[in-house]
Amino acid sequence: MALGQSSVRIAFDATAVSGARPTRGLRARRLASFARAPLADGALVPSPHESNVLRAEEVRDALALVARSLDAAREPIAFLLPDGVARLALLDAPDGVRPDEYARYRLAPGLPYPIREAVVQTESAGPRRVLAALARRSVIAEYEEVARAAGLVQGGIDLAPLVALHALRRAAARGVARVDVVLGDAAYSLALHDGAGLRVLRNRRRDRDAGEPRRLALEIERVLRIGGMDGRPAARVVGPGATALLGELAAAGGAAEPGWSMDGKGLPADAVEVPWLGSLFA
Amino acid sequence: MRDFSTRPQGPERPRLHKALVAVAAIALAWSAYSAFAARQEVSQRRATVDHARRDLQASQARLKALESRSKDLALAQQSLLTLDAPPPRVLATLAELMPADVRLSSVSLRYGARLDVQMQVIARSAKAYDTFLERLQSSPAFESVLPGDENRDGEVRATVRAGYRGSVS
Repeated sequence: MALGQSSVRIAFDATAVSGARPTRGLRARRLASFARAPLADGALVPSPHESNVLRAEEVRDALALVARSLDAAREPIAFLLPDGVARLALLDAPDGVRPDEYARYRLAPGLPYPIREAVVQTESAGPRRVLAALARRSVIAEYEEVARAAGLVQGGIDLAPLVALHALRRAAARGVARVDVVLGDAAYSLALHDGAGLRVLRNRRRDRDAGEPRRLALEIERVLRIGGMDGRPAARVVGPGATALLGELAAAGGAAEPGWSMDGKGLPADAVEVPWLGSLFA
Repeated sequence: MRDFSTRPQGPERPRLHKALVAVAAIALAWSAYSAFAARQEVSQRRATVDHARRDLQASQARLKALESRSKDLALAQQSLLTLDAPPPRVLATLAELMPADVRLSSVSLRYGARLDVQMQVIARSAKAYDTFLERLQSSPAFESVLPGDENRDGEVRATVRAGYRGSVS
């Protein structure tokens, strides 16, 4: 589990603050409770460089409401930041270098601020490949501040797209090529695995209109071509808009399936529409 | 474990700390014993090292002679590649693939066993960038196209790497 011992997770995104508490059953973990507090348009705008929490009081109140619903006001909470906050990059790492130092070296030139203002995390993504995530310290601090203002205990901070990709990877059969699509409110991540590791990673802003499912389906096709994959590996999709994209992929004759599905207490929508939910059980 | 917190989080864990101190003490004692045993071995190994050093010097002399030949071969291969794919030709091939809304801010060419091209692309829209990627991917002149970092604040700024197979014209 990427977030240590914090079992309760609360995720921020542009349209809502949502959270869940897992519980350990006889055989496996299951969903104990789920809560969601919608946010008005413009209260929280995920962005890598600009201020994200534009109306702090609204976000704080939504956060406090979710924490109370989960009975998590006094325990460490793992917070998940939305897709669009961090830059994600797949790097070819040379031998003999530290992945985090190499990621800083590679990503620094593209930043509009000094690299010392960034929090960089890396993880292995296959042979000589590194998945790097970089977020601006001041942007993360805004989320930390709103959690403090809500009187909550911070158990850790991770990125919703990364925990979702991790959960999808854990659930997949080893050595099988696949495409994982994680949709957030403001951005999405698309990962092509070739069986040995992560081969292509795209992280892009969303443009949510009627034509978006078609464009996302084309993006998947493009990633498969870039990855030089023979055949058409199955696509697994999670996040807001997943149902529409799955419909589009099915209509186009592609192999696609929801990344996860589950029933649980208080789950207001289809589980596949919650991008980080599977991470509770990974 | 990933944690993007801007400052360390979580309560103190005194039990864990005590256990770690105990493990460290055991490791220290074991290290001291190992150091004592190692010193006894030093004198025995010293003679072996002297012998190995003489072998190494002889091997280095042979390796130097072989490296000299290898460098000549690599230089010859690089020279051939430079003649076959001079920078103006590579840039001209790239220019043919670029939509009007796409430009290159920098291009680096690395002549090795093959010609690796790394370019900083600036596109006015995501659509133009996607079109450029598609053309690059389907062009017989390039292979192993790998889009890298993307920065999408307004215009798209991205890094793209590809291998140059040679002009088809």
